[in-house]
Amino acid sequence: MSATTGNPQEDFLVLDDVKTHFDMGTTLFTRESKGVVKAVDGVTLTIQKGEILGLVGESGCGKSTLSRTIMQLLRPTSGHIWLKGRELSAISDKDIRSERINFQMIFQDPYASLNPRMTVLDTLGEAVRTRHPELKGDALRARVAELLRTVGMNPFQMKRYPHEFSGGQRQRVAIARALAPEPELIIADEPVSALDVSIQSQILNLLKRLTRELGLTMIFISHDLSVVRYISDRIAVMYLGKIVELGDAETIVDHPLHIYTKALMSAIPEPDPNLERNRHRIVLEGDPPSPMEPPEGCKFWPRSPAGHDERMRREEPPFEEISPGHWVSNCPFCVADNGAS
Amino acid sequence: MTDLPGSAAPGIAEEELVEGSSLWKDAWARLKKNKVAVGSLVVFTFICLFCVLGPFLSPYDSNAQNLFAGAEGPSADHWFGTDTLGRDLMVRVMVGGRISLMVGLVATVVALAIGVIYGATAGYIGGKVDASMMRFVDLLYALPFTIFVILLMVAFGRSMWLMFVAIGCVEWLSMARIVRSGVLGLKKQEFVEAAVSLGYSHSRIILRHLIPNVLGPVIVIATLTVPAVMLLEAFLSFLGLGVQPPNASWGVLINEGQANMEIYPWLLLFPAGFFAVTLFCLNFIGDGLRDALDPKSAKD
Repeated sequence: MSATTGNPQEDFLVLDDVKTHFDMGTTLFTRESKGVVKAVDGVTLTIQKGEILGLVGESGCGKSTLSRTIMQLLRPTSGHIWLKGRELSAISDKDIRSERINFQMIFQDPYASLNPRMTVLDTLGEAVRTRHPELKGDALRARVAELLRTVGMNPFQMKRYPHEFSGGQRQRVAIARALAPEPELIIADEPVSALDVSIQSQILNLLKRLTRELGLTMIFISHDLSVVRYISDRIAVMYLGKIVELGDAETIVDHPLHIYTKALMSAIPEPDPNLERNRHRIVLEGDPPSPMEPPEGCKFWPRSPAGHDERMRREEPPFEEISPGHWVSNCPFCVADNGAS
Repeated sequence: MTDLPGSAAPGIAEEELVEGSSLWKDAWARLKKNKVAVGSLVVFTFICLFCVLGPFLSPYDSNAQNLFAGAEGPSADHWFGTDTLGRDLMVRVMVGGRISLMVGLVATVVALAIGVIYGATAGYIGGKVDASMMRFVDLLYALPFTIFVILLMVAFGRSMWLMFVAIGCVEWLSMARIVRSGVLGLKKQEFVEAAVSLGYSHSRIILRHLIPNVLGPVIVIATLTVPAVMLLEAFLSFLGLGVQPPNASWGVLINEGQANMEIYPWLLLFPAGFFAVTLFCLNFIGDGLRDALDPKSAKD
């Protein structure tokens, strides 16, 4: 257990060196391995109750795989996950079902995440009954109405079907469904990226308010840093299955250390056109390496404009606490001041 | 119950709720606009009523022979004429229709029940279980149907019910394939992932979340299976493996009719006409349902 790992008995959610690999199987005739995709490759993270952790990274960095691993929709290849002192990763597939009401997920696409053949009442009622199987009839309907009011929907619409609602309203229903089993942890996997910009802020404000009012803990996943900056208490930056930088939202946004975080920050558009014109952008070279054959050493060397010496192309940089609460994958070439902060 | 904000929730009375329009209702509305399908539905209903209620209203018995009135053309007494044994053809068409329609219905229901459950299970479990389950389907596909039925008849004796089951057992194969591919596609949808993450049981996910969403294509295939099954029954009866004289089905009547078609053409024309119209109707209804349930696939 490394120094970054929290105390599973005290902290709310603890991830210790979680790895989720996908075996691509063997070729048909020669039986050679087609390789292993290391989607999540050693994530260690501690989350406190009531906080909103933003998880950012580009497409294919393993954000969604990590979220589904925490949700136990995928079981980790190795490593441990504790939620409130219970080791989720050690619970059998059969027994995990009854644990699921404690952690829920909000999905990306509100057009695909609701069953088109079920009314809102059926969808939410079914979810409510995971925690309160005794509820039915009027009592169940009252509870569903309450949930709909909570997410800012008209409860008199509960007999409608998903296709009769707009994208933003559907996402509100999906949020209500995630709240229905009264979970303590919510994982939101790009919950606003499929929505119009004008709707995005409404949903973000709703999520922020609900987290505070219901005392939830949230992992908010996005590739959009401006969204993550707005909602998160802390931000974790993910690259090729690993976390490269972790700290308070303000610190990460205002004083990023890692070249990758700086590049992500510099990609946020500036609303003021004068500032936008003078904005210094760090443009990374090339595409991220394939997670099937990640580079040895600092995973960033094939793309870093600063260049890496022989040692950092072989040795993995340590994940170190530079200042209190601010952790970074401490490769001297990635973290050196390149005048972009 | 926890205190969520805004929980001053008064009871919600059932009648105040805005009634939603389900996809089924929308599909029904679209189907009603399809004149050919609605017309077919009306004609098909008439044929069903004619066959089911007709024999009660007719003065003749379907198997009562009257050798003095053998093979007469249509007349005021016998609207469809009589066959070579003097039996009233109209009653025989009605009674034969009952059997043909029942074969269509029962065999389709058998095919539906087996195919949907089998296909949904294979698709939902996936992996090696799916592969072996579907190889079994391929195996049955490769089995020549006629030989299969003949073997069944030899083993269990000739029985109409056995024939229903035999046809159903063959027709479920394509049903299973369609349901499986539908479930495979749906399984990756986020609402199924959501159902898993809510901790629902496998049977609940299959029955409430997957099957209702593949029912559209299944209903279409079912309507198209009914005529296929009726054709199979006609074929088997034609071979002498299905319904046995003196009992009648449309297949049997057509078989008898074609033997004498040059001398007594009405013996072929009436049962064949009813059979053809029924098949047309069912195919039009199936096409209409397909367009109504999946508006994107409609050509216009």
